Amino acid sequence: MGVCITGIGVVSAIGMSVNENLNALREGRTGIGPLHYLQGTKASLAGEVKASNDELRAALGVGTEYVSRTSLLGLQAAREAWGDNKRSGVIRTGLISATSVGGMDRSEVFYKDYLAQNNPDYQLLTTHDSGSTTERIAKELGITGYINTLSTACSSGVNAIMLGARLILQGTLDRVLVGGSDALSGFTIDGFRSLMIYDDQWCRPFDDSRAGLNLGEGAGFLLLEGEKSLELTGNSPICNVSGWANAADAYHQTASSPDGKGATLAIENAIRRAGIGLDQISYVNAHGTGTKNNDHSESVALQNVFGDRVPPFSSTKAFTGHTLAAAGAIEAVFSVLAIQHNLIFPNLNYRAPIAETGLVPATQLETGVEVHAVLSNSFGFGGNNSSLVLTKYE
Amino acid sequence: MSKPALYLSAASTISHQPTFGNPGFSAALGPVEASSALISPDYKAYIDAGLLRRMSKILRMSVACAKDCVGQAGIGQPDAIVVGTGLGCLQDTEKFLNTSLTVEGLLPPTSFIQSTHNTMAGQISLSLGNHGYNMTHTQNTLSFEHALLDASMLLREGDRHVLVGAADEHIDILDDIAGRLAFKSDAPLTSGASFFMLSAENQGNAKASLADVYTSGGAGYGQEEIDAFLDRNGLQPGDIDLLLYAGTPAAGVPVQDAKRSLDYLSLIGVYPTASAFALHYAMDLLGANSEVRNVLICNTLRKSNLGLTLLKAVEA
Repeated sequence: MGVCITGIGVVSAIGMSVNENLNALREGRTGIGPLHYLQGTKASLAGEVKASNDELRAALGVGTEYVSRTSLLGLQAAREAWGDNKRSGVIRTGLISATSVGGMDRSEVFYKDYLAQNNPDYQLLTTHDSGSTTERIAKELGITGYINTLSTACSSGVNAIMLGARLILQGTLDRVLVGGSDALSGFTIDGFRSLMIYDDQWCRPFDDSRAGLNLGEGAGFLLLEGEKSLELTGNSPICNVSGWANAADAYHQTASSPDGKGATLAIENAIRRAGIGLDQISYVNAHGTGTKNNDHSESVALQNVFGDRVPPFSSTKAFTGHTLAAAGAIEAVFSVLAIQHNLIFPNLNYRAPIAETGLVPATQLETGVEVHAVLSNSFGFGGNNSSLVLTKYE
Repeated sequence: MSKPALYLSAASTISHQPTFGNPGFSAALGPVEASSALISPDYKAYIDAGLLRRMSKILRMSVACAKDCVGQAGIGQPDAIVVGTGLGCLQDTEKFLNTSLTVEGLLPPTSFIQSTHNTMAGQISLSLGNHGYNMTHTQNTLSFEHALLDASMLLREGDRHVLVGAADEHIDILDDIAGRLAFKSDAPLTSGASFFMLSAENQGNAKASLADVYTSGGAGYGQEEIDAFLDRNGLQPGDIDLLLYAGTPAAGVPVQDAKRSLDYLSLIGVYPTASAFALHYAMDLLGANSEVRNVLICNTLRKSNLGLTLLKAVEA
């Protein structure tokens, strides 16, 4: 039976729920646009969640104003994935979230006042550390015990799913809510701009003219259950988490290797762990950030693994923007949707193949295909490469 | 519930105390002074000078400890690298935050690149040329215990050697913040990094055996949780030869009846992953003192979080 996914939740620039996200994906509607809620940044375009902190707090019933947007977005998605499941004294339940910025959206408000000696509110810093964003989500959901946060930059979300699956297989937990959350912040926007990989135009993953990413924000969560938990909850599995792997590229702190070493290892090992053949991968939800470096390296890795039989693939980052630590979790939810509804999502803003690799992504929504197994990639700073294989529950 | 024992064959700590390259340090260690500073080794022996220049305190400490540890363990490459950090790369985070709020135009990217929590694990993989599993846990005061749990799972899944460690760095603003947020501690806020080689088998060089690790968050721990942990491991509180605990005024001594109790924060100062130092201290003591068999590290640095680590002497 392995590890089953029984619940999913997502919030991103293309919607506040699974249904809203699915509709936008079907309609090819991007959520990237000029910033409306986060003011004072230099980004012309980003994938912002269309709600203010006050609106999120009100909708979620969170009283305190000392809560980071990262926690609020995480709670929104975690609540949806958790659904009407009940706490239980017998089912050992954990929570693993991933974040890269933690409460930076609040810390930078503090620090601005601190620098200006303008009566800074030190309480804002109580939400700074990444662990506290997860503790807040756990508290609101009433989950105690195994509560953990992973932070491996842009691969964090996949790593949270991987860790959750391992904890169930080792018998440490019976079920675990796993995912990732990151809010937009001036810090990260300035950071990617300083690296000269923030595109002022719409990002164009896998296109030859690609010139960088657009940041986004959001959260994705999935409820994973093992056999014992399923017997007690009676939940219906949607998919299996069948394969996973993490590997270090060990090439450069931020850049990916031109031979795609780490990515190749992650993809190969994840598919091997899933115990399926290469030809059984129906769709690849690529990392595909739209940077020159990532999309080239990832294309090379796909060719290393699949040769001239690369499965249909696309990046959904032109819908949501690059949501950093949330990306792997949001895209895992999209991968579940691909399996549930037999869909292959279009890679928006694509015109011409990358000259060196010639790979052509799916550019139209495909509905007439059987999607049994999806490979989802997430690669991050520090050469942190993770891949996940989700399969149809049978 | 008993799990197969795992073995610790190497440890390396850089801190405000003479812990680095100093086996047997536990015998002579006094309380850490509020005026103390980080005792840095000659980093150039471990890190390329060009890289070193750009590295913050936490990166230097971590890479040097990691390399020292791999050297001590006498293995070529660990199968995985797992790191815990409570607050991450504060020095670079503050630096980039400051730059981004005060500088117009093009910003230098180095401090942004080095601000992400997994910079330590990434730099270690780079410096070792390691392509294995590479993970960073950041769960407040339990970050190290979570890393240790992950490393233990990897060994049960088939890995042979895992490099596992933790690091946190002090920056000046922390003292101001601690005061404003009424954080109370008798020990000063400090920096520290500790790395270990955890292995599935004793290759004849094991200093201690890791019997169990446990974390619990969000509930406010209870005595019964500690008792249950000991019970699962076939022990009574009276079997604990040494209890190492985080001595905050709020927590007090968490286990009565241990043969000896020692507040590890008084030795090393306060940082979110100080329990990693406690593990090194316990290993050092177990290596030197044949009367000590069982050491319990009880991390109650934060009231809502409980971390328990049980170490045993290696059977001769």
